[in-house]
This record gives sequence, structure tokens and C-alpha cells, in this order.
Amino acid sequence: MAKILLVEDNEMNRDMLSRRLERKGFSVLIAPDGRQGIDLATSETPDLILMDMDLPVVDGWEATRQVKAAEGTRSIPVIALTAHAMVGDRDRAMAAGCDDYDTKPVDFPRLLGKIETLLQRVKP
Amino acid sequence: MLALLPGRLFWQAAAVAFVVIGAAGGAVMLSIGGLGMLGQSLVPAVLATAIAALVIGVLAGQINVALAHSMEKARLEYEHKIEEKTAALSHREVELRSTLENMFQGVAMYDSNYKLLTWNQRFREYLDMPEEFLTGNRTFIDYLRYVGQRGEFGDTNIEDVIKQRVEQLKRKHSFERVRPDGTVLEVYRNPTPDGGFIAIYTDITERKRAEQELTQAMEAAEAANRVKSGFLANMSHELRTPLNAIIGYSQMLQEEAADDGQEGFLPDLAKIEGAGKHLLGLINDILDLSKIEAGRMTVFMEDANIAGVITEVRGIIEPLAAKNGNQLVVECPATIGTFQTDVTKLKQSLLNLLSNASKFTKNGKVTLAISRSGADADESITFRVSDTGIGMSDEQMSKLFQAFAQADSSTTRKFGGTGLGLAITRHFARMLGGDVTVSSEPGKGSAFTLVLPMHPDAAAQAAAATASPKRAVSGDIQSERTVLVVDDDETVHDLVGTMLGREGYRVLHARSGQEALTLARTEHPDAITLDVMMPQMDGWSVLTTLKSDATLAEIPVVMLTMLNERAIALQLGASGYLTKPVDWAQLSAILKRLGRRDGATASVLIVEDDSEVRDMTRRMLERIGMQIGEAANGEEGLAWLAQNPAPSVILLDLMMPVMDGFEFLDRIRQNDKWRDLPVVVVTAKALDAKEMELLRRMTQKVIDKGASTGVDLRAAIRDVVKKSSKPVPATTA
Repeated sequence: MAKILLVEDNEMNRDMLSRRLERKGFSVLIAPDGRQGIDLATSETPDLILMDMDLPVVDGWEATRQVKAAEGTRSIPVIALTAHAMVGDRDRAMAAGCDDYDTKPVDFPRLLGKIETLLQRVKP
Repeated sequence: MLALLPGRLFWQAAAVAFVVIGAAGGAVMLSIGGLGMLGQSLVPAVLATAIAALVIGVLAGQINVALAHSMEKARLEYEHKIEEKTAALSHREVELRSTLENMFQGVAMYDSNYKLLTWNQRFREYLDMPEEFLTGNRTFIDYLRYVGQRGEFGDTNIEDVIKQRVEQLKRKHSFERVRPDGTVLEVYRNPTPDGGFIAIYTDITERKRAEQELTQAMEAAEAANRVKSGFLANMSHELRTPLNAIIGYSQMLQEEAADDGQEGFLPDLAKIEGAGKHLLGLINDILDLSKIEAGRMTVFMEDANIAGVITEVRGIIEPLAAKNGNQLVVECPATIGTFQTDVTKLKQSLLNLLSNASKFTKNGKVTLAISRSGADADESITFRVSDTGIGMSDEQMSKLFQAFAQADSSTTRKFGGTGLGLAITRHFARMLGGDVTVSSEPGKGSAFTLVLPMHPDAAAQAAAATASPKRAVSGDIQSERTVLVVDDDETVHDLVGTMLGREGYRVLHARSGQEALTLARTEHPDAITLDVMMPQMDGWSVLTTLKSDATLAEIPVVMLTMLNERAIALQLGASGYLTKPVDWAQLSAILKRLGRRDGATASVLIVEDDSEVRDMTRRMLERIGMQIGEAANGEEGLAWLAQNPAPSVILLDLMMPVMDGFEFLDRIRQNDKWRDLPVVVVTAKALDAKEMELLRRMTQKVIDKGASTGVDLRAAIRDVVKKSSKPVPATTA
């Protein structure tokens, strides 16, 4: 059972996404800000991270950068969730080290597809 | 003529002379006759002479009377005429005096010695001029000295001012003067042909006050507009968040209901999701439209891979078309290529047209046909969306592009949609230099044609040339000092134009980057104020172009920027900018575009003090086949340039020790060999106080449009223009 870390500050988005993921068989960890996201990633080593970009304390770009820089967490695939489909935002996420991105509001089936793809990649 | 004839006196004398001669002759005759025998021959001669003399005498007397009479008559006429003329002149004088005295303005005329010839009472009042200057032997210069001694010239040396003023008298000129009691006078002086001059004084205190009120009103309106824009931006987020929750939860519940076998709930939940999505669409459209109308919608031009865009769009529309049993056909030639445009807006427009076509067609065909036409600068690309749907009548078509007016109200209920999509699509098309047109027949179907230029810059230039000019020049048209104001916002032109005009500048107006460049090249203004946010070609692009053109680079530029656009403010003399961490896809697109020229392997010089970042950048770039040069600061960068062939592009960090990016940029722009090197500035997202300071240095002045009052901008312009070598125009005392 794959473990997904969801880093999202909005309560309702968190609730919706975590419940839908759990129903699909994932075990979901929650972090409400970038700082806690980095900490949980380090302590729990999830199989995948869903990273909202607009986060308090430490934003999504910085959190991703740190996760990708640290030895223990560098190999965890990260999907950026961006509220805008702006050209700049998307590419910034990729440059920060994200493996994929998706736009909010989340199209759940589409996001699921991306999650499965990334998880497949990691498996030997 | 009367003067030529012998005078009356002559005739009178002649008459008397002849009568006397005649009488004497007669007397002689009588005496000679008494003597009898002596002169028989003499008597008739003398007698004849005497008679002749008498006759002549009498005639002379007659002529005299006649002449006297006519001369008298002539003299009387002459005197009469003189009287008339004098009366007329006198009348005229009264009229003139009346005019002068009733004029609103003060008038004074001086002769070539600068002594007062004519003046009116108002002149005296306005200048509070003492009697001695009006009637005595005092000259204008004496008066100036008197005024200076009273302190009205401020701290400046009185004799200097006098010299300057006298110098000015040789030409027509005008300026404003504030009197000690606060009245503002507009002083106009014009030299007269005889070497003197005429001065006209107008009280413009009221006008100034009105202008100030207008300025304040405009500033208040600007501020309100900004508050509104800020409000809209916030509302955007506030509105979308709960809507996303509604859409998300209803989707989630549908999944749960389906899984739990509670199919009964599904239709209702679907309705909630549908309503939420519809509302979201409405909000997005309204916010888009508000942004457009507030002039805050910006255009982000980039290389668009047309085939790629079409594929994406097709993916979204196919299910929509299928829902109504429609077939979607895409006709796109394989060689369609790429062009410069705002990809997001293009996509949104295509989706709008295609979803409309799908909605209003049932069991029919929706076709998207793409083609290129024209040549060179006029080349354009056409996206034609046609359908076999219900079509529209002429009346329906006439309301089509208006916001909020769908073909008719029943349409909304039947077909959904917001009624705003087409208005937005057309705005977008026009912002990108093109347009949308429609043709349709009820019952047969409709065709919407979106045409966009493939070379938007060239098209914009052509448009600027033919566009009907709004005010192009204002201010003091005679002035030798010119400022070019560049902004797409008309209120800025009014505001800044008025202000600068009052300062004695001639103001040129450009409403787009292209227009600005054209005007800068033909007019060579002494300074340029440049707005940052403009559609099609933003202020930074203009600045770049100006600084890289040898004939224009010297013109001082004052950037006008909104508070929150500060972060973009680093594209100084740069051909591109990126935010850290470096965006590889964007970078490689820029490099491809820049490297296209030579065809040879592109080489990049990385000027960056952080060794890790340099390392990472080098690896990324080597991976795409670039040759790399490295330098840890500006100084090393210059050294590298001196020793190596010019790179295709320089990646420049701004904050470095020893020599920072700003100075490096400055230096290379001054060197003929390196002036044209494309530089991509790489910077961190947030600008701190230090960076702002450096930024100020580099762009002469950065003025916050938000915080600026008229005074700031004026001071900035004066400041900036002063730094160039020419003298500043005469200003008020």
C-alpha cells in the first residue's frame, strides 16, 4: 500500500483529496505547511509527495528544493499542485525539481493517472 | 499746390505796384502834356504804358481777390479735414484706451530703450508698479532691479536674472510668475519690430487651482482604480476557493455513492457539480472581462507550437463534441510551424469557439481548419471553426460579441454558457493584433474565423502608423526641451502631459512600445517616461531596445512602475530574464531563439558567484549541447570576455561580490564589441532594499506610480534631464 504525503494548507482541499486517495487504497499523510511537509518527508519517507505550491511558513518551491536536496528524500517523486496554469508557475515548479505538476481545481482521475505513472517508475 | 502759386502778398504787391506805376505814368503824361511841344512821340508811348499799367494793376487786383478766395476755400477745407482726422484719431484713442482698460489682461509696451510707451491700469495693478516706473525715465531694467531688490527672484543673483530676462526679450516667450500675494500670472512677451517689446500679463490663479483640482481628482480616480484592481485580484481567490470545494466534494460524493451502491444520489450530486462548474466558468469570465476593461490584462508572448496547442485543445473538445453526437474534424497542415503569441489566450479562444460550436450543433460536424496566408510582415494564421448547427440570424449575429448578451435569453437556458466567452475571445484576438469574425445562416450552421498575425511586432508598428492619433503633442509646443511619455493608460498622458507642459516641456505621446520607439527615433526627446505594463510590447522591452540602439541609448529614461511589479524590474538592458531557480525549458527556448542566427554551436557565459548554482547550470546547458564559459563575478566576467570569442548569450546573476551584475551590464553596454551581446538576467524572486537601490541607480529613477504625486515625477524628470549637458529651460521666478 503506497504512502502519499499531501502537503496542502487549505482544509477543505486537504479533506477532499485525502479521502478520495484513501478510498483508492493509498495511505495518506498530511502536512499543513511547507516546514511540516519537509519534516514529515524526512521522517516518514513516503512513496510520493503531492505538494501545493502556495504554502505558509515555507512555500512549495522551497520545500521541494529542500526535499530534492536531502539525501534521504531526494528520490521521492513530487507532484506540484498549482492554482494557476500560468506558464511561469508551471516551469518554476519543474525547475524546483518537481517530477510532474497538475492544476487546481484538481481533476481527480487525471491526477490519479499521474500518481500511478510516477509510482510505476520508482518500482524496480 | 497752393504753395507753388505765388502768395497773396505777391499779387497784392504787384497790384499796388502797377497801379502806382500807372498813376505815376498818368501824372507824368499830364505834366508832359502841359509842356505840349516837347515829346509828341513820347506821349502816346508813356500814355500807353500808363494805361497798360493801370489795367494790369486792376487785373492783378482781381487775380488777387480770386486767388485769395480760392486759397481761403482750400485752407478751410484743409483745416476741416485736419479736424476730422484729429477727431477720428482722438476717437480711436478713446476706443483703444477703453479696450486696454477693459481688458482682463495687463498690457505694457516698451520701446527699444525699454522705456514704457503704453500700458493699462490692469498692468499696473498686477505688477503693483509704483508711479515712478510708469511716468518717469525709468526703464524695464530699472523695474526688474526694483523687483529683485524686493526679493521676488528668491535667492538667485539679481543681476544674473536681469541679464537672463533681457536675453529672453529677443524672442517670444512666456512663463509663470507667482506674486507675493499668491496670484499666479502668466507672462507673455513678444519683441516688436522697432526693437522694443510688448508684455501681456494674464491672471491664471483660477486656472491653476482648477488644474490642481483636476489633478487631484485624477489621482483619486487612479487610486480608486487600483483599489478596485486589487480587490478583484483578491476576490478571484476568495471566489474560487469555496467553489472548488463545492465541485470537489460533489465529485467525491458521487464516487462514494457509486461505490456504496447508492445510485439514487448520483443525479442530484451531478447537478451540484454542474452548477458549481457553471458558476466557476462565470466567475472566470467575469474576472477576465474586468481585467480587460481595467486595462490590466497583460499579454505574454512566446513561441507557440501550433500543432501542440491544437492537440491539447482537441483532447478537451472531443468529449464535449461527442456528448451532442457531433463529429470533430481537425484540418491542420503538418508544416504549420510556430509563431509568436500568447499561448494561454490562444487556447482559451479556441476552446471558446469550439465549445460554442459543439453546444449549438447536434449530431452534426464541428470543423477546425488552420491555414497560413500573406507574406513577410503581413503573414497571418487563420483558425476557422465551423459547424453544421442551428446557425444565427443577422440580428442574433449583431449582438454576438457583446458581453452578457447571448443570442437571446432562451439560449442560456437551453444551451448553457456565460455569454461572455465571445466578448473575451474578441478582446484577446485584438490584443494579439488580430480579430474574430463570424458568418452564419439560420439552420445551416456558423463559421467563426480567428485571424492572428504571425509577426505581431511588425503588425503593431503598421497599426500604430495608421491609427488615428489621439493627442500626439502637448505642453509648451515652442519649447526646445522635449519629453516623450510612453503609456497605454490615457489618464497618465493627461496627467503627466499637463504637468510637464506646465514645466515648460514639449510633450510627445506614445501609447505603445512600438509607437514609442518610432517617436524616439524621429524626435530624439531629451527624456522618456516609460510605463512598465503595456500590452504587446512592455516597458522593459522598450527599455532594452532603447539601450541597445546607439542613437537612443543616451536618452535618460524614467520608469513608471506599479508597486507590485517591482520584481520584474530587473530586466535592465537585458534580452531576457528568469527567476531563480533557473527555468531550463524557458532558458533553452530563449537560447534557441538567440542562437538561431549563427547556426554554429551556441556558447554561454555564466556569470554567477554561487559555485553550486554555476555547476548545476553548466551541467544543464552542456546537456543541451552548449559550450560553457564561467565567471564568479562581474570582473571575472569582463576578463573572460576580453580573452574569449563572444558567447551567444550571457547568463548574468545580479548579486555578486567584487562587481555586481548591474555594473557588469553597464560596462558591457559601453563597449562596442559587447554592446549587442544578449544578456539573460537571473535573479531571486524577491527584491530586497539593496537590490532596489542598485535598481534605482541603473534606471535613473524608478517611480512608483502608486505613490507618485506630480511633484515626484517632475523632480525626477528635472533631475534626470539636468544630468545631461544641456541647460534647463527658464522657469518661474
